Amino acid sequence: MRIVKKIGILLATLTFCGCSTAVTRVSIPVKIQSEIDITRYSNFAVLPFVNERQSEHNEELPLEVGEDIAATLRRGLARQKRFEVIGSQETTRLLTGEDLGEEWLADTKHLSQLGEYFEVKGVIVGSFRFYSDSRPRRYYGERYSIQRQRYVMDYQDYMQKTYLLSLRVMIIDVETEKVIWDESYRRSTAEAHTIGSFIFSQAGPQANTVRELGRRAVTEFTRQISPHYEQEDRYLVK
Amino acid sequence: MLKYNRLALIAILVCLILSGCAVSRDTNQIEAYNQFAIRAAQAQLWNEAVFRWKQVIDVDPEDSKAYNNIGVAYEALGKIDEAVAAYQRATELEPDNKYYRLNYRRCRIHIRRSGVDDEDTLQSEEEESPIGE
Repeated sequence: MRIVKKIGILLATLTFCGCSTAVTRVSIPVKIQSEIDITRYSNFAVLPFVNERQSEHNEELPLEVGEDIAATLRRGLARQKRFEVIGSQETTRLLTGEDLGEEWLADTKHLSQLGEYFEVKGVIVGSFRFYSDSRPRRYYGERYSIQRQRYVMDYQDYMQKTYLLSLRVMIIDVETEKVIWDESYRRSTAEAHTIGSFIFSQAGPQANTVRELGRRAVTEFTRQISPHYEQEDRYLVK
Repeated sequence: MLKYNRLALIAILVCLILSGCAVSRDTNQIEAYNQFAIRAAQAQLWNEAVFRWKQVIDVDPEDSKAYNNIGVAYEALGKIDEAVAAYQRATELEPDNKYYRLNYRRCRIHIRRSGVDDEDTLQSEEEESPIGE
């Protein structure tokens, strides 16, 4: 009887093995098109990003951070063969005498006039909000107690400081004065601090953190508006 | 009489064995081509893989695996029309295979995302297709 049972199990196993389909997963490149009409919007002027000042939690940042984010975006777009971008120096030269402020973002007429002045099809403008949030955290772990001769539960308190950047990017059509792109990109990073390093971080410069977060947000935007390849999985059947 | 019967029996057996050998040889050949093509595909040698799967289809025009795999290869090479046709054939031959359906669906999603001009063509393809979304 036992032998019959064993043979039955073996047969069932063999049957199931035979029924399953053996597959191999491979990655293939698939082309992702731009989310804007790149035949129409082929050249851009990127204006400096402005710091949103009305927000209470906003961190104090040097003025050139907005220009740094814009320069990163210019570099990213210039690498794409389909786009032409007005260079940083030329932009600064042509913007001499202009007051950079939040009111810009609403005044599409003025922005499109600037676009005509730059002789481009689209003007990229935007604003950013940078703030940090600190919360006490507790890390639980184990340590070896010599007194008790075994591992015991232990914890350590620390401060977790999270930096958040919200970058708003807009594209203004110079011809129609309409906003053709308006998206916000949020990026964050966190640091663990002891009391000492936390106090130091509150007083220390944060421009590098905002530049790094800005670079990540800008990369996402560039990816969305430029055609690129992505890897996708497909199944080959053996 | 008995002798003739025995001879006939032997002849039938020989025929069966030979036909079995032929089928087995074809199957082995198909298996070998398929395995080779999969290895080529894993090494991103898509043209080589296409060549092998075409050979499989020449040997067995009803091999759904080869159609599915050649569809993947065509898609990797950017030959989307050929890929769609191959996926369609694979799903026609084996409508219940979830991998064929998955590949075909992903291909169609990709076509839709990349904004193919002739949306009507795509819609008609979907209507004709045996696969439900």
